Amino acid sequence: MNRRTMLIPLAVLVMYVVAAVFAPLLAPDDPNAVTLARRLLPPGGGHLLGTDALGRDVLSRVIFGTRISLLVAAGAVLTGGVFGVAVGVIAGWRGGRIGAVIMRLVDVVLSVPFFLLAILVVAVLGPSLLNVVVCLALVRWPRYARVAHSATLQARGRGFVTAATATGAPAWWIVLRHVLPEVLPVAIVVGTLELGLMVIYEASLSFLGLGVQPPTASWGSILSDGQQYIASAWWLAAFPGIALFVLVLAANLLGDAARDRLDPAKRTEIPKARRGTRRQARRQPA
Amino acid sequence: MAAIAISARRRVRALPAGPRYLAGRLGQAVLALFGVTTIVFFALRLSGDPARLLVPEGASAADIERVREQLGLTDPLWRQYLSFLGGAVHGDLGFSYVQNRPATELIAERLPYTANLAVAALLLSIVFGVTVGVVTALKRGRWQERALMPVVLVGQAMPAFWTGLLLILVFSVGLRWLPSTGYDGPLSLLLPSVTLASLSAAAIARVTRGSVLEQLSRDYVRTARAKGAGTGRIVLRHLARNSAIPVLTVAGLELANLLGGAVVTEVIFAWPGLGQLTIQSVSARDFPVVQAIVVFASAVYIGINLLTDLLYGVIDRRVTVGGAA
Amino acid sequence: MIQRSLALVAAALCLGATACGIQPATAQRGPGTIVIDTANYPSTLDPGKQYDTDTYSVYRNIFDQLLRRDPKTNKVVPWLATDWKQTEPTTWRFTMRRGVTFSDGSPLTAGDAAYSINRILDKDYGSQQYANFSVITKATAEGGDLVVRTKVPSPTLLSYLTTLSVVPEAYVRRVGDKQFAVKPVGSGAYTLQEATSGSEVVLRANPRWWGPRTQIRTAVFRSVPNVASRVADLQSRRADLATGLTPDAADQIRRDKNLAIRSTPTERVAYLAFNTIKGGPSNDPRVRRAISEAIDYRALIANLQRGYAKPINSLVTPLAFGYDTSRPGYRHDPAHAKQLLREADAAGAKLVMATSPSFDPQIVQAIQADLSAVGLRVEIRNSDQATYLKKVQDPSRDWGSIRFGRWSCSCLDADGVLYPLFHTGEIWSSYSSRDFDRIVQQGRETTDPERRKALYRQAFDVLARDLPGVGLFQTYAIYGANTRLRWTPDAVESLFLDQMKVS
Repeated sequence: MNRRTMLIPLAVLVMYVVAAVFAPLLAPDDPNAVTLARRLLPPGGGHLLGTDALGRDVLSRVIFGTRISLLVAAGAVLTGGVFGVAVGVIAGWRGGRIGAVIMRLVDVVLSVPFFLLAILVVAVLGPSLLNVVVCLALVRWPRYARVAHSATLQARGRGFVTAATATGAPAWWIVLRHVLPEVLPVAIVVGTLELGLMVIYEASLSFLGLGVQPPTASWGSILSDGQQYIASAWWLAAFPGIALFVLVLAANLLGDAARDRLDPAKRTEIPKARRGTRRQARRQPA
Repeated sequence: MAAIAISARRRVRALPAGPRYLAGRLGQAVLALFGVTTIVFFALRLSGDPARLLVPEGASAADIERVREQLGLTDPLWRQYLSFLGGAVHGDLGFSYVQNRPATELIAERLPYTANLAVAALLLSIVFGVTVGVVTALKRGRWQERALMPVVLVGQAMPAFWTGLLLILVFSVGLRWLPSTGYDGPLSLLLPSVTLASLSAAAIARVTRGSVLEQLSRDYVRTARAKGAGTGRIVLRHLARNSAIPVLTVAGLELANLLGGAVVTEVIFAWPGLGQLTIQSVSARDFPVVQAIVVFASAVYIGINLLTDLLYGVIDRRVTVGGAA
Repeated sequence: MIQRSLALVAAALCLGATACGIQPATAQRGPGTIVIDTANYPSTLDPGKQYDTDTYSVYRNIFDQLLRRDPKTNKVVPWLATDWKQTEPTTWRFTMRRGVTFSDGSPLTAGDAAYSINRILDKDYGSQQYANFSVITKATAEGGDLVVRTKVPSPTLLSYLTTLSVVPEAYVRRVGDKQFAVKPVGSGAYTLQEATSGSEVVLRANPRWWGPRTQIRTAVFRSVPNVASRVADLQSRRADLATGLTPDAADQIRRDKNLAIRSTPTERVAYLAFNTIKGGPSNDPRVRRAISEAIDYRALIANLQRGYAKPINSLVTPLAFGYDTSRPGYRHDPAHAKQLLREADAAGAKLVMATSPSFDPQIVQAIQADLSAVGLRVEIRNSDQATYLKKVQDPSRDWGSIRFGRWSCSCLDADGVLYPLFHTGEIWSSYSSRDFDRIVQQGRETTDPERRKALYRQAFDVLARDLPGVGLFQTYAIYGANTRLRWTPDAVESLFLDQMKVS
């Protein structure tokens, strides 16, 4: 993956963040302004992307929705990621019985059907933007825990960790200095891939009435509001759908690029590839 | 996802493959399962009252109390919990509040539908995902990769309710080729399984691609190439075997997920599987059924995980022999 | 591995191949068969247990009811009981139809009818319909007649007896309640052919039925929870009838010339209820009045309901006994609403609106917008139905200020709406008025129609003064149907197959 292909997804993400931050300046309308007399207007005319079932401007809702969707996705990835990595590293570093039990617990959490967990969380904690994030993080942290666990095990087996342990360095220092640098790149790769997925999950929660609170717009809530109009008002779901697709695409490309750059296993191979012939270099995964 | 490849290799090495290892893992699994069912048991009871959903709208507080008593919900929590545990040990997970039938029986009725759908979706996503993964890895940087990856990503970037409704609109309403909802015969399987497969195909394609790329850089492939072997033969002979493990891992995870019930897809296609049962019984706070589903889903998941672990050894002996590859 | 991948491809190809020789799903259907899409799978087939629309839609075809309503006039008419009289204020005597048999051949007697009532009253049986029949002390069979005794004189007894399905005592006792729910035997126009849990129930015409010959031979009730999927089923001819459509879906259906919308005003009322006890700003009657004047009723009916609704002047529909046509309608006057809010010192006040996904989110948001136009900040708190009920029905009454709901008592009577919604201490009521309590209690125990009407006029006066709630509109039931199906829906949303015909 070369620099150019990494720039495009980066630019897309930056664009989204800008849209989210400056939503009030960019949106032509109040995203929550209901006008029942102007409901379900097709794109064009006064509303560039049409209006929804309550006469609200779809463009404005998509722009404001970027805020919520990015917030939910980033929040879920960060919370789940930090927690998952912490659990995975602890399990991997301690190893033995404790490590094994932690990892079985991770398996079981992974095994509880997503929506069951989601409904429980939303029902127990009450519905809110924050709880959607909590809910997604709660469901997804085991994925990070798994990769962090195996990366930690791998790092533990390496010479420099063994050496550091032999010199009597404190465990927390070894973990910070030697293990985390091995774990984080893998976790970041998983995180970028999860980013898009979280937006989709939020949409599914909205579909079941468990997403963000109305009238707040998120891509997911616009999409699920639009599903019953799929045959009659395509614009309701098409535009948030496109926004979502581009984000998932960008996040995935970035994830691939990040993996190629950061994965320690691959990093060591980069110099080899440089030395090789041009044909071989192209075959390298670096 | 390369990380999964690493974890797979690691786990194989950590596999002393003895019955002791298996017993240990099972023990841990049972322990963890116990923890989760306990949490679910109490969390469920925090959040809503099944009796209120069962009575007609005009019922009085006394009517609700009557139903609660009938369901045994007026007992202290610890007694309810003990009687749940007592039953669970004997394989009795209680009666559905709503349907008044054994919870296990309800699950047994829905399982064939879910299993059918899950297996079909998994087959489709493996075929599609592996093909795309191999092609994009071999044609890295060429037009084939640029053309195929977005196709896979489209599936992944669309919520299931959206994909499903679009498919229904095109193939049922527009062309009238396939039934829109429900189950009668294998044809009904097609649209929901494609909807589900579109979600997991991307994950499988990604892992396959990563894994093939990794293998391509290995010496043995270069050697084979130097000997003049064609790409096709290399793929079949060497790559398939060596790339299989991570793909298998992901496929196993996906299958377990699918068996847990694909809620949204099942709702859209009115598919009478476990996913719908889950959402209905959670919404109705049908505690015995929810608990039974949690126990079942966790057991299946743990089982499949164990099975994939064991399969590593069968499929790729070379790795088991100390990662000599 | 190679063989394995080939096998996988082959399996996938198999899937693909079956997709090519496709038969349209409708081809397998006989001319006398109809397919009906409902949102939910019936929770039981035992008519003594639950009484919700998607459940009774199915089992009321397997069983006969003691009485029925005329689908056009909504009057109570003979069914299993051919005649009845009130022998004492608290005693009713019903003459039973002769020659009626259950589908297992056994005769249906007054004893079966009495058993069907007493079963619901039996605490150990745990019927969820108990509330509907709790006024009854005992039912007995006396000299071939059914005798029903009530605690107090009951004006609504006949209404509720239209919901009573008669079950065969001997069979139920023999097989037990659990088995009965799986293999129900009734005297109705249809018998159960097969049921696939969570998916569909197939009914077949009962050749022994006493009534006029039915035209539908087989009926398939399918549960399709998603509205858009039910619409697609109609459009792809997989279903002949779909229930519970939205007004916007109705617009889509109308574009297909082989499909039609069947709709009718029902006794279901869309309403707002206020928390007058712990609602914060809504404790003040002026704020409640301001809210009632902030709502644009006509826009709700014309734009959101697309005409599938009618304006009303109180919390019951014109179909209910006790509706007073002479009352003025609700007023939409935002300017006056603002003034009231200023007087109440509540301009810019914050209100919580409790709701759940089962209540139309579009209406909830439209109301939020109407209220924000007069300067009230409304926060919508959407929780899942179970949580919502627990919160709203909690005796502490600490659930917020406003909620939106739809109410139907299946009884066509003001009592079935006003009492549970506003009588002090009822689970739904966040209002308390001694006058009101006394009036509706009297209304419950008075059998003279004119005196009852006068009582409900008084009750509406109290409600108009205190405004613990607002009636938004009378809702229509919206069904989508294939034009081959001839059928007219009724006000209590019944789905009687014996009233349907196909061409």
